[in-house]
Amino acid sequence: MQLSGTDRNRRFLAAGAAVAVVAVMALVLIAGFRLATRIRASVSALQTTSVLQTYPAVISQQLAALRGQLDTLEYSGRVHGELAATVADFNKDFATIERRHDLDPAAIHRAQTLWRSYQPALAPVLAFSGEPYDDTDTGSSLSSSGRVYYDQVRRAAIFAAENATVLHRQLAILSASLQARTSAAAARLRTLLFVGVLTVLALAMAALYLQLARGRHERAAREAQEQTRDILKTVREGFFLLDADYRIGSVWSEALTRLFGRSDFAGLDFEELLRNKVSPETLATAVKYIKLLWGERARESLMKSINPLGQLEVSMDNGRGGRESRYLQFDFHRVMGPKGVKHVLCAVGDITSNVLLARELQEAQENAHSQLDMMVGMLHADPLQVSTFLDSASAGLKHVNTILKEPARTDAEFRKKLAGLSRELHSIKGEASALNLMSIAQRVHHLEDMVGELKGKSELTGNDFLPVVLKLDELLAHLRGVREMTARLVTLKDGSPEPGATMSVPQLRVVPTEQPGAPSATERPARAAGDLATMLQQLAAKLAQDHGKRITLTLSGLAEVPDAYLATVKDCVIQMLRNAAVHGIEPSEARRATAKPEVGEVRVDFHRSEKGYELLFQDDGAGLSPEALKRAAVRKNILTGEEAAALDNRAALALIFRPGFSTREEVSMDAGRGVGMDVIARAVYALGGKIGVSTNPGRFTRFKIALPEARQAPAVA
Amino acid sequence: MLREEELKTFVDGTTRYFEVAAQQPATIGSPYLLEGEPAMHDYTGIISVSGKREGVVYFTAPRAMLTVLLMKMQENDFSHESMRDLVGEVANTISGNARRDFGHDFVISVPNVLTGDKPEIPHKPGARSFVIPINWRSHSAKLVVSLT
Repeated sequence: MQLSGTDRNRRFLAAGAAVAVVAVMALVLIAGFRLATRIRASVSALQTTSVLQTYPAVISQQLAALRGQLDTLEYSGRVHGELAATVADFNKDFATIERRHDLDPAAIHRAQTLWRSYQPALAPVLAFSGEPYDDTDTGSSLSSSGRVYYDQVRRAAIFAAENATVLHRQLAILSASLQARTSAAAARLRTLLFVGVLTVLALAMAALYLQLARGRHERAAREAQEQTRDILKTVREGFFLLDADYRIGSVWSEALTRLFGRSDFAGLDFEELLRNKVSPETLATAVKYIKLLWGERARESLMKSINPLGQLEVSMDNGRGGRESRYLQFDFHRVMGPKGVKHVLCAVGDITSNVLLARELQEAQENAHSQLDMMVGMLHADPLQVSTFLDSASAGLKHVNTILKEPARTDAEFRKKLAGLSRELHSIKGEASALNLMSIAQRVHHLEDMVGELKGKSELTGNDFLPVVLKLDELLAHLRGVREMTARLVTLKDGSPEPGATMSVPQLRVVPTEQPGAPSATERPARAAGDLATMLQQLAAKLAQDHGKRITLTLSGLAEVPDAYLATVKDCVIQMLRNAAVHGIEPSEARRATAKPEVGEVRVDFHRSEKGYELLFQDDGAGLSPEALKRAAVRKNILTGEEAAALDNRAALALIFRPGFSTREEVSMDAGRGVGMDVIARAVYALGGKIGVSTNPGRFTRFKIALPEARQAPAVA
Repeated sequence: MLREEELKTFVDGTTRYFEVAAQQPATIGSPYLLEGEPAMHDYTGIISVSGKREGVVYFTAPRAMLTVLLMKMQENDFSHESMRDLVGEVANTISGNARRDFGHDFVISVPNVLTGDKPEIPHKPGARSFVIPINWRSHSAKLVVSLT
């Protein structure tokens, strides 16, 4: 936990107060000790001066006693010794006083002078060491040296008696001076102790206050920590900090444990956090992004907009031994310090339910839109046409299912299915587009995409076909919905009771085309030809609109198409019309530039021929370029460069009937898969017919399909 | 609509059984939609599903395949009861896999075993049946997922 500036100051103050208390106490103790020592010395000196004050009187008395003993010729040795001892004690004690520096030097000097004045009188007395008496038989008398000694004692006694008071007074002055100094020192000691105690008390109170404040603050910090812990424990998002080494800090919210199924986050590398949960590519992108966040110049708003982890699909342990996909949202915020980016705060949320909800919503919206589109398309379409298409589509999808059902174990066997699937789906899509049933066309297109992707895989297995069969199921369900809606629309138009509730649609069953309200068998050829013409006109208009072209479609002889050829002719014309709209007819500007009419013209003519029937399809578009066809064949790996170069123009034009051939780079609803011309060529060959193409680059493309006499009229398939 | 991952869970449960029990994984053939009556084999292990999805999932296999499977499992008993137990076990593995992946979303019954080529399959109206051929060695069985 980091401390704020106020916390640091408070701590420094508390520590300072404690140090100050110790320092003041030390100072007081040292100063007090010195003062006490001085007072003790002063008291000792005071005692000495008190003793010194008695010495002048004692010396006087001892001199008087010595004189008296000499007068009476008594033994004087003891008193002489006591006098010598007294003088020695005086000298010793006085020397002690003299060594003190805290006494008035003048007073000391005066006392010294007075004491020195004693010396001339005392010295001869003290120097005497003989016997003062002469003892004879007649008695004792002073000896000659005794008499001298006696005079000296007498003079000394007189001197001492005269000066004892003065010396005593001077010593008393010294004593008073010492007493005064001792009292002053004692007063200072008292003051010092008083101030010291007060200071210590004040500092102790300050320290106590700071300690209490610190305690309050620590309680607040503890509460704040507890609250933070509660937040991190309760919050649903995962929070953590990343350091400059992209490692997770020591604090994180508990939601992380739930989100990632682990709890060892402290010090964990961010890359490690996501390893095995996302693809290596996503992981590399995420790591690169995290590194970018530490760049000083990167703007946060910009970084947020390019966040690759805004919706991350991760594979997690589901707690039952399996794995499940979840969606996580990572949000990053840079935490700035004085030296730039200090940490990166990461917030992780589980948005799985949101993503799934959004997906369901989108699917629902798409369904609603497609239903609406379908309704609008069907309102403009002839119900009979739609019903015929649905029959045809159901049959086509049944064939798709039959292709899927063929047993397969090897890559080759699986791969063999793809061409058939593509052809069948392409055909259904073409018819759906022609009827403007875009919801169906888009679904078939999606299924075609899936099949197209399988072609690019290196090795195919049954697993690869699981999404295909699911999509097929969805498409069939959609067709059932369309069929029910058609039935309702027919009911609405006829004003008859709604039969929808009883109109069940069997799975993959071709519904008989004979339905209530449908034309009779004799009316059907004319009706079917009319339907085909209408449908082709609608398709031409739609293709022109989708591709920004202007096209006029002229149809003739379609009423002559035998029932047996109706489906094939329809498929052929639809495919060629789409090719013309996408590849052939140029945009108006281009046509103007080449002096062509702005509106492109497509002519379709069906008529009898010597050997049967002939279908002519011609557009006045850009024509086919043999060289462009060769280049496309090489690009699609259908031919090598050498093989392409060896082709003549006729053989080059025939390339368009090869499976997988297309000059388009991109796949769209109408072209680009290379499925189409090969389908119609197969259909024509299946009927025993022939197909040919001729072109004049820049002027026209013409397809001629020759069909034999029709033998019988099979049911619409 | 059944999702791909749901379908894969049942498929993986089946192929995993072969991998674990016979140390030889099974592969799947080309899946397709069931038309008309299901082509059943001699022994069928079936589980009923309710909850998020409703219907049945069953594994139907020919006697010959189950015999080889028992041999690979070092079993010596090739009786009718052993065959029944074996398809029951496969169905149980499929059920366990589904429980692991789907949790409480799916309520799965204990496996039931049916015999004969025309057993009574409790088909749920409106449920589309996906047939996934299960190829193992030269034999082929079927996994049928029929859920709404």
